[in-house]
Amino acid sequence: MTSNVKVLDQLKIIAELRWRMFLNSLRTIRGKTELTARIFVALIMGMGALGGAVGLGAAAWYFVSSGEARYLAVLLWPVFFFWQLFPVLATAFTNNPDASDLLRFPLTYRSYFLVRLGYGAFDPATALGSTWLAGILVGIGVARVTLLPWGVVVLGVFAAFNLLFMQMVFAWVERWLAQRRTREIMGVLFVVLLLSFQLVGPLMQHAGRQAKPGLQHFVAIAAPIQEVFPPGLASAAIARVARGGLVGGFGLLLALAATAMLMGYLLHFRLYAQYCGENLSEATAAKKATIAEQRSTSWRLPGFSAAMAAVFEKELRYLIRSGPMLLTLIMPVFMTVIFRFGPAGSGRGSFVARIPAMAFPAAAAYSLVVLTNLIYNNFGGDASGIQFFYASPVRFRQIVMAKNLSHVSILLAEIAMSWIAVDALYGAPGWDVTMATLAALLFAAPVNLTVGNVLSLYVPKKLDFSTFGRQRASQTTVMASLGVQMVILGIGGLTFWLAERSHEMWTGVVVFVGLAAITIPIYFFTLKRVDAIAMRRRETLLAELCRA
Amino acid sequence: MDGTATISSEHLTRRFGEFTAVDDVNLRVAPGQFFGFLGPNGAGKSTTIKMLTGLLATTSGRIEILGLDLEKNPVEVKRQIGVVPEGMSLFGRLTGAEFLNFAGRMYGLDRETAASRAAELLDFMQLADQPKKLVTDYSHGMQKKLALAAAVIHGPKVLFLDEPFEGVDAIAAGTLKSMLQRMIARGATIFLTSHVLEIVERLCSHVAIIHQGKLVAQGSLEELRAGVDAQTGGHAPENGRMTLEEIFLHVVGGTQRNEQELSWLG
Repeated sequence: MTSNVKVLDQLKIIAELRWRMFLNSLRTIRGKTELTARIFVALIMGMGALGGAVGLGAAAWYFVSSGEARYLAVLLWPVFFFWQLFPVLATAFTNNPDASDLLRFPLTYRSYFLVRLGYGAFDPATALGSTWLAGILVGIGVARVTLLPWGVVVLGVFAAFNLLFMQMVFAWVERWLAQRRTREIMGVLFVVLLLSFQLVGPLMQHAGRQAKPGLQHFVAIAAPIQEVFPPGLASAAIARVARGGLVGGFGLLLALAATAMLMGYLLHFRLYAQYCGENLSEATAAKKATIAEQRSTSWRLPGFSAAMAAVFEKELRYLIRSGPMLLTLIMPVFMTVIFRFGPAGSGRGSFVARIPAMAFPAAAAYSLVVLTNLIYNNFGGDASGIQFFYASPVRFRQIVMAKNLSHVSILLAEIAMSWIAVDALYGAPGWDVTMATLAALLFAAPVNLTVGNVLSLYVPKKLDFSTFGRQRASQTTVMASLGVQMVILGIGGLTFWLAERSHEMWTGVVVFVGLAAITIPIYFFTLKRVDAIAMRRRETLLAELCRA
Repeated sequence: MDGTATISSEHLTRRFGEFTAVDDVNLRVAPGQFFGFLGPNGAGKSTTIKMLTGLLATTSGRIEILGLDLEKNPVEVKRQIGVVPEGMSLFGRLTGAEFLNFAGRMYGLDRETAASRAAELLDFMQLADQPKKLVTDYSHGMQKKLALAAAVIHGPKVLFLDEPFEGVDAIAAGTLKSMLQRMIARGATIFLTSHVLEIVERLCSHVAIIHQGKLVAQGSLEELRAGVDAQTGGHAPENGRMTLEEIFLHVVGGTQRNEQELSWLG
């Protein structure tokens, strides 16, 4: 029989567990590198925290000492946004199974709730946010020492609100991320949101050329509205007491505390469901299909073997089902729009603005660069499926060639989309520019495919096509890719520049075809060696891609 | 090498740095045998099966499958074998039907044959309920069944299975067993590793036991019983017939701990 474990003891055990996990992580070179990186990041963050605290403190001192404490809201809103947005951006939609894993133990609900809150308390956003609030508090205290105790209470409640709100959002996001479909939808929405932010600047600038933005009008409307939200409430509570309105200030503090409690309740609602063992099964209603209904033939790829057709089909199906990859692939068209409407598209210094004919080659080059995500880590998405390739009676050169074929097909589709986008935004690219661009790809694509095939076998990295963020290729791949792109873009850019200046774009075509005559045989020569490399590297590939 | 064996290895050895995972293993599996390959955790079972299927290089030694040298004819050998390795080797972002079509085509089946066999296999394995479901969303047992379906879609002559019954429920295990027995009846050879000794005893005609990388026993169940009998001086257990578990424990030297050691367990 076990005796009842105290909450504090359980928290202590969990803290020891985290510490032990941290120490164990230092046994590997990767763990040590990670620690070094973290120390470096912590130093930068520490500087940011102190710098921010000093700046915010100075601003708070100025507002309070000049009798304008209501403007503290201008400081509290950025703190609030950082506190809430930074963790979301930093973790970028990956699961944190840590806390729910603890539920197998006889953990009390209070312990579980506190552990979840504790994780939030040690978050970098909380550390920075708290430091900044401390800076604001010091500024208030220096300006008016009698206001300090009230400031401690109000900003303390505001900090608690931020902590509870952040954990509440995470708990709910975690619930949506627990299922693959909702996770993918969330991921797509997240990236669309990020892309939308990219468009705000160019669109505002575009609109700004036509009409002056009514900033004062906007502030006049927004100022009273923001006062009902926590940063506004905290600011108003301090400002009211600073003016001697103790009762009014207390009322505002109660309202702030009520929002914090509401967040706490919503967090409790979610965590309690987790604690009670909610079922997040992804099973859908069973619907028995007949053999005839299930029978679906695979794709036909004329001129290629059955195995190559199968791999080609598999690659494209993977891509179609991967929100992150699809979004990556629409980036060239998106960037064409950004360049057209953004400052680079309008400024006189812009290369593309001065020579619109170069928009299509630039978009094509960008398409190729974006595609290196796939090309340089060919087997990353296959995970344990790599074993199937090794166990099947198919030569690796065929598998790799089929993958390359799918990548080239995607590239061609992107080039076509880019051409249409350039046509719509800048006017149709000239026949000579189009041909020169295609010839440049004929030279550049084999280089990328060759290097990509070799790196895919030498430095593979497992990827989850359904997850956004925190997925990087190996450092070797990143460095090699960077080097290759610099050489390709250097040669390509120089050739286009010279051809454009001399008004001899067809000379560019000849140069690129000449270069392609060198790179294409190199591609096929390397392809022949792929079987031998794959056999030599099989243990590394299987170990990296099959790991849990 | 034994020319009559379907699977044979000669001085098969695999080292990982200083550690020898498989040490001078000589295996013989005759055509049509249901062969169980047993051993305690970490004994070298998965390493051996990976070498026999070309998933892992040997440090030394030779492997012949169906009379072909695996190192010299890897593609020809792989064409005739089916494999369910440790990690199941599935492509998670395909549906079950898409994956089986893919597997069939990789083994050279034409589109029509691959499609009809895929549909039949899905039906047989009771995986037809959710045709739109991605493999990554399958349960562990469903993934095992799908991996087995992919391994047999081309009608292999030899089947290698690494722990096929691990994490599989009784109904699914029954389905798998009936399929494997059907294959044996049609002349295929099956090489399987499993920790479930009752299943091995029921299914397999021949067994080999590996312990600390070395092959410590090999033969039919009767031969192994006779060998243990001879070593123990004919002291048969109370029911008169040694089970595979008893043979296994005797061969690998497993001892049952004294109950006193965990007296607090009640």
